[in-house]
Amino acid sequence: MGVTCVCQVPVAEGKSVQQTVDMLHKKLEQLGAVKQGNFWVDCETYQATGNATGQPTKLLYVMHNSETPLSSMALFEGGPGLTADANFDVLMVKLKSHFQNAKGHKVESRGTRYRYCDFLVKIGTVAMSSSARGISVEVEYCACVIPGDCWNLMKEFMQSFLGSSTPELPAVFTSKAEGLYAPVDCMDTMSQYLELFGKVRKQQVLAGSGVR
Amino acid sequence: MMSGGPAVRVSIESQCERQVQEVSLDGLETYVPPLSMSQNLAKLAQRIDFDQSSDSEQDGPERESREPWSKPEPEEDEGAVKFQPSLWPWDSVRNNLRGALTEMCVLHDVLSVLKEKKYMALDPVSQDPSVTKTPQVFQLISKKKSLATAAQLLLKGAEKLNKSLAENQEQRRQRDFNSELLRLRSQWKLRKVSIQKQSPDIGDLGTVSLFRRQPKAKPASQTWHVKLEAAQNVLLCKEIFAQLSREAVQIKSQIPHIVVKNQIISQPFPGLQLSISLCHSTGEKRSQRASPEKSKPDDHLYVLEHNLHQLIREFHKQTLSSVVMPHPASAPFGHKRLRLAGPMAYDKAEISSLQQSEGLLEKIIKQAKHIFLRSRTARTIDTLASRIEDPQIQAHWSNINDVYESSVKVLITSQGYEQICKSIQLQLNIGVEQIRVVHRDGRVITLSHQEQELQDFLLSQMSQHQVHAVQQLAKVMGWHVLSFSNHVGLGPIESIGNASAITVTSPNGEYTISVRNGPESGCKVLVQFPRSQAKELPKSDVLQDARWTHLRGPYKEVHWSRMEGRNFVYKMELLMAALTPCP
Repeated sequence: MGVTCVCQVPVAEGKSVQQTVDMLHKKLEQLGAVKQGNFWVDCETYQATGNATGQPTKLLYVMHNSETPLSSMALFEGGPGLTADANFDVLMVKLKSHFQNAKGHKVESRGTRYRYCDFLVKIGTVAMSSSARGISVEVEYCACVIPGDCWNLMKEFMQSFLGSSTPELPAVFTSKAEGLYAPVDCMDTMSQYLELFGKVRKQQVLAGSGVR
Repeated sequence: MMSGGPAVRVSIESQCERQVQEVSLDGLETYVPPLSMSQNLAKLAQRIDFDQSSDSEQDGPERESREPWSKPEPEEDEGAVKFQPSLWPWDSVRNNLRGALTEMCVLHDVLSVLKEKKYMALDPVSQDPSVTKTPQVFQLISKKKSLATAAQLLLKGAEKLNKSLAENQEQRRQRDFNSELLRLRSQWKLRKVSIQKQSPDIGDLGTVSLFRRQPKAKPASQTWHVKLEAAQNVLLCKEIFAQLSREAVQIKSQIPHIVVKNQIISQPFPGLQLSISLCHSTGEKRSQRASPEKSKPDDHLYVLEHNLHQLIREFHKQTLSSVVMPHPASAPFGHKRLRLAGPMAYDKAEISSLQQSEGLLEKIIKQAKHIFLRSRTARTIDTLASRIEDPQIQAHWSNINDVYESSVKVLITSQGYEQICKSIQLQLNIGVEQIRVVHRDGRVITLSHQEQELQDFLLSQMSQHQVHAVQQLAKVMGWHVLSFSNHVGLGPIESIGNASAITVTSPNGEYTISVRNGPESGCKVLVQFPRSQAKELPKSDVLQDARWTHLRGPYKEVHWSRMEGRNFVYKMELLMAALTPCP
């Protein structure tokens, strides 16, 4: 468990999603990273029913991460989050009357996992109902749990293969009460993914590009 | 009365005149206040018997006339209490002192008279001659008598002691007799065999025969105990074997395990075969055996069998323990910690650390490998130690071991020089497949399971030890080390390790010893002499100054095998001593 930074890489001009992903893979392999299996992150949306009128319905997102295979994370956008056992999904089924599953809104990101010394780089294709919508890149620095201590190092590392698409410091870390020097949680990673998935959902389906 | 002589000073201390009435808590003494004059007079007056004194005053003259014919009267008078007021408190003291003085004066007079020998003379008391001159016969008789009486007394006492001792013994015998009887009756039984009436007046005694009572037969319940134990053992062994064979088939390893009927054969090391077989005989139940080197079927490795049993019991304990059994009965199975994996978001590394990844077969094969490696290492060290005598090799095995790891400390020393030459100390950590050697100087070397590697390594260390020993010896003897190399690059190449060399020079700088020692090539010792001692040097006219002859000249090899001394270091010491001339 280390400091993670999730960002979206825009699809290269005139290239498909898959081609951009392959380009990134090549860059990483040139850098000396070693492929270490696959990963996936998915997110399901649940709508709270029976709300008071006038208030927008609260959306509950239940996410899973292959890094923590036995856990399920449930969070509200910008709100509190919960880390639970894998049985949480069964619980949500039981709570069908209160939380309805918006099946069409399931987003997931699948891809390969590279390891470069203390860094773990996961390049995934964000897909919504099996149509590729974008590329997610997650960089994890396993040796540190304080973002303030290692952000500069991570940024430098990301610049080496992402170039101009290097993100800024994620808002999750700055918005914490203790600031940059609070230890990270798996919730932070999930919030970043949620943000990314939200952005991707809002994006239009890429037209004219090689869509899978 | 006072004759001449110095006056004697007498010191007198008065007694405490006042009585202490009370001593308070702070030590203050309260005295009885002294009586005033009138009080004192009153006190004295009370003691006067006015009747008596008035009578005595009146009868004074009458008494004198009555004296001749009334003798009892003065007695009465004397009997009556007469009070004489003490005129002076020191009266008695003065009287006593005067008496003492009188006596001292008398003594002094007597002694002075004696000294003058005019009026008095000392005469020794004459012994009665009849007393001393008793005839010896009488003496003897009297002594005999006295001895006889003493002897009689002693004999009486001894008799009494003997009597009491005899009584005690008899008592004890009687008691023993009773206990003996009891014991006898519990073990033996009397049985009347025949009854014979020998004579009508004597009651029949009959003949009896004695036979040993059979020990009580064990109750029948013991046999089912034994049967149950045997059955449990058989089931356990079958379970172990079933688990092992299941794993042998499922697990993929480099060299596949062969499962044939009741035997599992695997090869932990090339050239080593481990066979685990289940032996079940209905006569006596035998457990499994795990034996390397199929040649000896009786060569069990009991250690591994025991470990197998332990492993399976541990496995059972884990599956049935409260740690694993879910306490809220609705919770899922598995390790307790694993239930936290979800909420605590454990990643794959943490999850795998909680779960057991190795099966029974893998564990037992690892243990077998370790045992084999350890025994082979021991054998290598022992053969080297018995083969090579000069640097001695000692192995101290550690008592605390693990199933997968043991350690031994190997010391290479020279006999007689253990304190000086102790630079080669190796710590060998024997693992499952490799041996890790930690040198005293910090180097860490990993050796494989090959026997030859360890042997070669130890041989090279032994050769290095000799050269190190020379270095230490030079320090002690006062020789200077000119050069020292653990791995020389000159000379013939060794097949095992490298040769080492050292050059030392004598304290006065005249002689130099050069040693080269290799594991294969052995040792070569050369001595450099001063030019003046070298006979084969041609005399030339070029060097005219005599001082050039003191330089060191050519080298000469020493016939090391003909050198005296039981080991290398001893020989070296003798050589150094020989080359250091006496002042």
